[in-house]
Amino acid sequence: MEENSTTNYRKPLQWGEFDPNRRKNMFVGMWAWMWQRISAIAIVFLLALHVTLTYKPWLQFLLLLAVTFHATLGLRVILLDFNLVNVKYQRALIWGLTGLGLVVMALIWRSIY
Amino acid sequence: MSTGQGGKRRIEIYRYDPVEGGDGHFDHFDLQIEDETNTTILDVLLRLQKEQDSSLAFRYACRVNMCGSCGMVINGREGLACKTNVSDFSKNLTITIRPLNHFPVVKDLVVDMGPFFKSFENTLPFFEPKEIKEEPEIIRPDSRERQAIGLATECIACGCCVSSCTMANYHEDYAGPAPLNRAFTLLMDSRDSLFDPRMEKVLESCYNCRTEFNCTEVCPKDISCTRAIKYIQRLAVKEPFKAVPATNTVVSTASVPQPAVDHIHEQERVSSGIITSPAVAKATEQEDMGRRKFLTKLTFGIGAASTLAVGGVLASAFIGPTDKKPSLWVPAGKLENFPVGKISTVNLRYEEKTAFYRQQIVKPILIWRQPNENKIVVYNTACTHLGCTVHWDETQHLFLCACHGGAFDIEGIVKAGPPPRPLDQLAFRMDSGNLLIEMA
Repeated sequence: MEENSTTNYRKPLQWGEFDPNRRKNMFVGMWAWMWQRISAIAIVFLLALHVTLTYKPWLQFLLLLAVTFHATLGLRVILLDFNLVNVKYQRALIWGLTGLGLVVMALIWRSIY
Repeated sequence: MSTGQGGKRRIEIYRYDPVEGGDGHFDHFDLQIEDETNTTILDVLLRLQKEQDSSLAFRYACRVNMCGSCGMVINGREGLACKTNVSDFSKNLTITIRPLNHFPVVKDLVVDMGPFFKSFENTLPFFEPKEIKEEPEIIRPDSRERQAIGLATECIACGCCVSSCTMANYHEDYAGPAPLNRAFTLLMDSRDSLFDPRMEKVLESCYNCRTEFNCTEVCPKDISCTRAIKYIQRLAVKEPFKAVPATNTVVSTASVPQPAVDHIHEQERVSSGIITSPAVAKATEQEDMGRRKFLTKLTFGIGAASTLAVGGVLASAFIGPTDKKPSLWVPAGKLENFPVGKISTVNLRYEEKTAFYRQQIVKPILIWRQPNENKIVVYNTACTHLGCTVHWDETQHLFLCACHGGAFDIEGIVKAGPPPRPLDQLAFRMDSGNLLIEMA
């Protein structure tokens, strides 16, 4: 019977396709990856605004926030890439470095304003 | 010991019929489960197949997390059906079962693992000894090499990691976490002779890894493929700097008399292009040596040049500016032009010379001609906080800085905001009615 030949396979399911519980159950490492990309786009956009609008405190704050996020998650990737931290700490690094980054950001914000 | 925690569970299973075709759909089943802590998803599937729908198709073999046949996506996370218990999911939650991602679906939960094993083959997942020895060549369990490889050899090729990797979504040629993990165990093996061809194949796709760790989270054997891929990337960086020439496989194996079986394999390997003839191998080895030496020299050369450049600049900064530039006196206009008792803003235009660089500068300054003693104070408009230009606000009678809200009174003393010290004053002198300001 030629009906059931290999030509009748369904094309591969993609990540998230036909998968009602996928996004609810995303691992935190994947969130970190996504926030890294989102903050990168946010930085490009906010930087363009920052150059044209001189004094808007909310704009500076958002830019600083985006840079902090991108920097801390980027530092995490660097630490893991060069094996400076064991991969078993990858989840802890997300929370630890982001917390540290937010503290540093608060200090910077206070000292400027 | 059954504690009787059971009840009815809703199960949704993805169905695809190759005869019908289409996209597939979910079928809903209800199952009464006696003890959820003792029931795996595989048990659930077997019961459904036996009691409710005998057309349900799925793979399994060993039932004890060893073979890797029953990999599927359960409630959004990959895993082995025989390893996942129903009690892992909170009470009354519907269990959704669906096949692995990124492989063609044959029927229901069965996927075609052909592409998976093809990408395995692409990374040369077999061991070739450097020399034929009579005694087993031992790698000690406490050696650095063996510890670096660690658990990576435990891979059961279940396909969960490739299914969970979002990069496999977007890159057709990405080898995938499991094949790269297998390549890693062999690349790290010092007894193996196929380091270079394998490295070449692996480097084509290992940079697609974005360090998401999805593979590490879902692996039923707790292997971290991300770690393996990062290791490979680091090996690739060290490659051009290795002092030892590339191992020449053909020279070593050709000179040793081989039994007939190995000869046949060598023919296959020669025809598949993995090992070249002795003459060409020698020539490429010379090229490799030349390339390595060149790259090493280039890197150290650039490193030395940049160190010298940066070091030179730092050193000159320490020594400091040895020659004092003569100060520039810029005319600001006639004294009569500045009204008494008021603040005037003047744009000074002059040419600044720094080493080889000349620049036309237009700099605003503020001149306060005091009413009582006929004195003049010249203020620099640079705010003492971060250098923004201050302007004089007549209504508030303050110098205001727009950047961060700094304010100075008419004497330059800080009245509000972040500036740390009073407004700077510039030196000036009178020359027959003309006011001259000293600019550094």
